[in-house]
Amino acid sequence: MARDRFNGDEYTGPLKRLLLAVLVLSLLGLFLVWRIDSPRVERFRAQVLDTVVPNFEWAMAPVTASVKLLRDFRSYNNIYEQNQELRRELRQMTSWKEAALQLEQENARLRDLNNVRLDPRLTYITGVVLADSGSPFRQTVLINVGSRDGIVDGWATMDGIGLVGRISGVGDTTSRVILITDATSRIPAVIQPSGQRALIVGDNTAAPPIDFLENPDLVRPGDRIVTSGDGEVFPPGLLIGQVAQDPGGRLRTRMAADYERLEFLRVLRDHGARKVSQPSALILPDVPPGTGTPPPSDTPAAPAGGNDG
Amino acid sequence: MVDQSAARTWTMRAAFIGISLLIMFFHLLPLETTPRRWASPDLLVCLCFAWALRRPDYVPALAVAGVMLLADLMFQRPPGLWAALVVMAVHWLKLRERRQRETTFLLEWFTVAGCLITITVIYRLVLLILIVPSGAPFLTLMQLAMTILFYPVVVVLSHLAFGVRRSAPGEVDRLGHSL
Repeated sequence: MARDRFNGDEYTGPLKRLLLAVLVLSLLGLFLVWRIDSPRVERFRAQVLDTVVPNFEWAMAPVTASVKLLRDFRSYNNIYEQNQELRRELRQMTSWKEAALQLEQENARLRDLNNVRLDPRLTYITGVVLADSGSPFRQTVLINVGSRDGIVDGWATMDGIGLVGRISGVGDTTSRVILITDATSRIPAVIQPSGQRALIVGDNTAAPPIDFLENPDLVRPGDRIVTSGDGEVFPPGLLIGQVAQDPGGRLRTRMAADYERLEFLRVLRDHGARKVSQPSALILPDVPPGTGTPPPSDTPAAPAGGNDG
Repeated sequence: MVDQSAARTWTMRAAFIGISLLIMFFHLLPLETTPRRWASPDLLVCLCFAWALRRPDYVPALAVAGVMLLADLMFQRPPGLWAALVVMAVHWLKLRERRQRETTFLLEWFTVAGCLITITVIYRLVLLILIVPSGAPFLTLMQLAMTILFYPVVVVLSHLAFGVRRSAPGEVDRLGHSL
């Protein structure tokens, strides 16, 4: 018997070992190819997700809904206090609503005087969140609209109120949104009353820090943060959130979008956005600054840059 | 009898892939869209290791590679590296399986923990050398600890639910080789 096994190993062993070596080498090869030519492999990843995740979709929605239902059920026992609190908030809200209506009227009048035309190119497509990244290291979600619906890499994504992230990786029927909280996310922003420019640097926490501020003294907690449109990454003027200060004195972003429940996301069609077609295209401009005439697509961004002096 | 055991092997291989897909499915549910302060255990690796140490024929290298590569792609990890490391670790554990049959569970647990720590360190080192951003080290440590802690749970569950246990000393497969 022992001899039998020995022989068996002798005959199947080398072949198996060869197969194993080929397997491991091809996996490592894939990793190296990814490191060298990331966009191609990322496109492959988007395609794999595009074929696999829609198969899960029929089960995902009910399971997610029932888990959420269970979580909500646990909070039913303090529903009375919640109700009281909501009533109190509602009373405050009515006064706010009054103020908002007045402001809206005033705004409309002023706009009329100024003859402002809102940018009609900013239309949106709404998608449903299918899945999250599945790992604690990445903050991304998958939505159920893709290149079939005309989604393009780099477009901004919002929930009803605030900026949520940026499209990165488009499949046929799904696309991935890198959230502002992801460690690879960098969003150029303007802090509202002072006009200070900064970067919102995702660091895998719920409140991403504000970096590269010229003069932090001019910025107070509670100031509004909107996208600046610098580098043509996003259209200018999308609300990101408010400035907050953490106990260590560092300025962070309290996001306007409700990250607790991301269910429906709006993808803003942005036809002025620069197409990202090659790995370094986002960093290097087509024409280095100061060497030639600026491309004509810059004109809408120019007035925004003019008034921060 | 002969067909039955072959059929069982193939059923269990299918079950391994099925459970892996189920684990991935639950990871992907969009329940947590805020950044987490904790990391969940890597149950896929637990499953691979537990089954490789009990019944190596249920987890062929090709299935492990396929499942882990799919997980790499789904979970936004660098594709291929973690899969390759897990395939190598599973192979090493399979080679030790025959020797481990008489040892206690505690010793097995230590072996698995050592294996996990080794491949995690190699993973982080390779990512560091190739300058790939790899997330907070705290989260990695936490995931490692959780995975090691959850290993006995996975072992017990696969014993109770799927009957994956070490083969008895006298058992033979359909060709008459001892298992």
